[in-house]
Amino acid sequence: MSGATVQSATPAQPKSPLRTAAPQSGFAPWKDPSKAPIVRFENVVKRFGDFVAVKDCTLDIYEREFFALLGPSGCGKTTLLRMLAGFEKPTSGRILVAGQDITELAPYERPVNMMFQSYALFPHMTVEQNIGFGLRQDGMPKDQIATRVDEVMALLELGRFGKRKPHQLSGGQQQRVALARAIAKKPRIVLLDEPLGALDKRLRQTAQFELMGIQERTGTTFIIVTHDQEEAMTVSSRIAVMDHGEFVQIATPGDIYEAPNSRYVANFIGDVNLFEGKVVSISGGFAEIDWGPGLARFKSVAPEGCTGDQQVWLALRPEKIHIDLDKPTDTSNTIPGKVVDVGYLGSISHYHVELANGQRVKALRTNSSRTVDRPISWEDKVWLQWPAETGIVLTR
Amino acid sequence: MRRFSWFNATSIALGFAFLYIPILLLVIYSFNDSKLVTVWGGWSTRWYGELLQNEGILNAAWVTLRVAIVSSTLATILGTMAAIVLVRMGRFPGRTLFSGLIFAPLVMPEVITGLSMLLLFVAMNLDRGFWTVVIAHATFSMCFAAVVVQARLYDFDKSVEEAAMDLGATPLDTFRQVTLPIIAPSVISAWLLSFTLSLDDLVIASFATGPGATTLPMKIYSQVRLGVTPEINAVSTIMIGLVTIGVLVASYSTKRASERQEREMKAVDAGAK
Repeated sequence: MSGATVQSATPAQPKSPLRTAAPQSGFAPWKDPSKAPIVRFENVVKRFGDFVAVKDCTLDIYEREFFALLGPSGCGKTTLLRMLAGFEKPTSGRILVAGQDITELAPYERPVNMMFQSYALFPHMTVEQNIGFGLRQDGMPKDQIATRVDEVMALLELGRFGKRKPHQLSGGQQQRVALARAIAKKPRIVLLDEPLGALDKRLRQTAQFELMGIQERTGTTFIIVTHDQEEAMTVSSRIAVMDHGEFVQIATPGDIYEAPNSRYVANFIGDVNLFEGKVVSISGGFAEIDWGPGLARFKSVAPEGCTGDQQVWLALRPEKIHIDLDKPTDTSNTIPGKVVDVGYLGSISHYHVELANGQRVKALRTNSSRTVDRPISWEDKVWLQWPAETGIVLTR
Repeated sequence: MRRFSWFNATSIALGFAFLYIPILLLVIYSFNDSKLVTVWGGWSTRWYGELLQNEGILNAAWVTLRVAIVSSTLATILGTMAAIVLVRMGRFPGRTLFSGLIFAPLVMPEVITGLSMLLLFVAMNLDRGFWTVVIAHATFSMCFAAVVVQARLYDFDKSVEEAAMDLGATPLDTFRQVTLPIIAPSVISAWLLSFTLSLDDLVIASFATGPGATTLPMKIYSQVRLGVTPEINAVSTIMIGLVTIGVLVASYSTKRASERQEREMKAVDAGAK
């Protein structure tokens, strides 16, 4: 761990972006003001009777992005996607694709193709006919259709199944046919509605990497709807976390994980420990947090616009907490506790530690050596410690 | 397997006997050589031959067949349309009323349906004949067709139609290339059901008909009032044959379609595992 040494001598600038350990690629069109978005939702609202499915959503998605709409069921992510496909009409607001207003266009007039959660393959057509369906609607000559269908089938390794009907295929094969059909027309944008939801876990992980490969090779913009946070983290360039019809945070997977903007996002993505407290003082970009009478105060990087006497939550990822039997020499953010539960998973171990005030904290340790003199076990008195930079202070 | 029990065997035998002995008797007596319906005079196909000479019955049979074909086609088209509106259009004002109105004729006494038809035709000053019978039959068998097609549409994944539109098919193309081929088995069974309903209807046809458009059931009924002749037995046997074939084909095609659908569902489920 490179960030283990605390550099309290050079306080972090409140304005500077947090350095994160997440991999960063050079691809970031959303930071480039000269780039025009390929999809733009402008103050889009969707009501079904009294129920507001989507509340005033504004969002830009850029060419070649793999964009994920992530949230629990009923958060409005599928409605947003269906509005882009044209199956639902926004109650108000506009949707633009490549600068053109498509709000009023019918589904069959839009330059987007969708892969459905149920795959929605045509049961009476062969795989070839399914994939060529969209091309036939455009009146493409027969020989060209055949060429393009072969091309797409080769891309998705469906070559042997061309003459089969959907019910003669396995779930994984059906999923590939559905994707092949969605990309056959070379649409500018491919929409994926929970595309891997019907696959088992192992197949899903393979399929995620396949999806990324296809997206890269075709150079198409993909927009995926999913409730699976791991899936969103794996495949996407950016994630929009949604709740109750609103965007809570739109950021790269790394930022969503390392710099969540709210308790909702921190909780939704990965495991997190939350300490409720009050900011008592801010100095040099660090906030001191009082989280209970008689408890040592926490020190953490203060978020922008944080004022004294404000209610905050300190979010700590379990893998960022050091757990040790001996009291560490570095005394900042050090708290004692008692181990109440141990989960040994081979590569890592989970520890549930009870603090003096009864709160339970999850900590994680990598089992890097095969033999340990004295492994941490139930009822052990342990010390938890973390550097001031690793905790995230949340104000909502 | 359940164990054989004399009680079950007897009740099944009695039930079938109750239902089919009269029909069996009718079929057997249609091959009776004797002129008298109730006296057995040996096997013969004589009355089938005589039937071919009977202009009145042949005419009535021809009218019945034409009415059945035209009215069942009409009923299937209208019934399919009604089913699509009910299943696909979602909630619209008056939907409950609309579905009630479509399915009311299922439970309406035939006499009332027939009488109301007659009143309508009189009020419209329509000449009663072939076409009024067609309209009347199409009206009452339409609801049966709607029920059959509706059942299929309810099991049908709506996103398949959305996928077609998403890939560039207009609503009409979607119906032609996707919806219709998928619901085709149920449309065929709807047609066959309407066909058999029209074929053996007596009550509604009697109200709606006029001169020159006597259907076979009407002809048989009027002849029976003068005394049953062996010819009637023969023509009835033919009708029983036709209706049986129609019902068998309809139920077979529905069964096969639902089996195929089950297989497709299983394939999807297997993929989901």
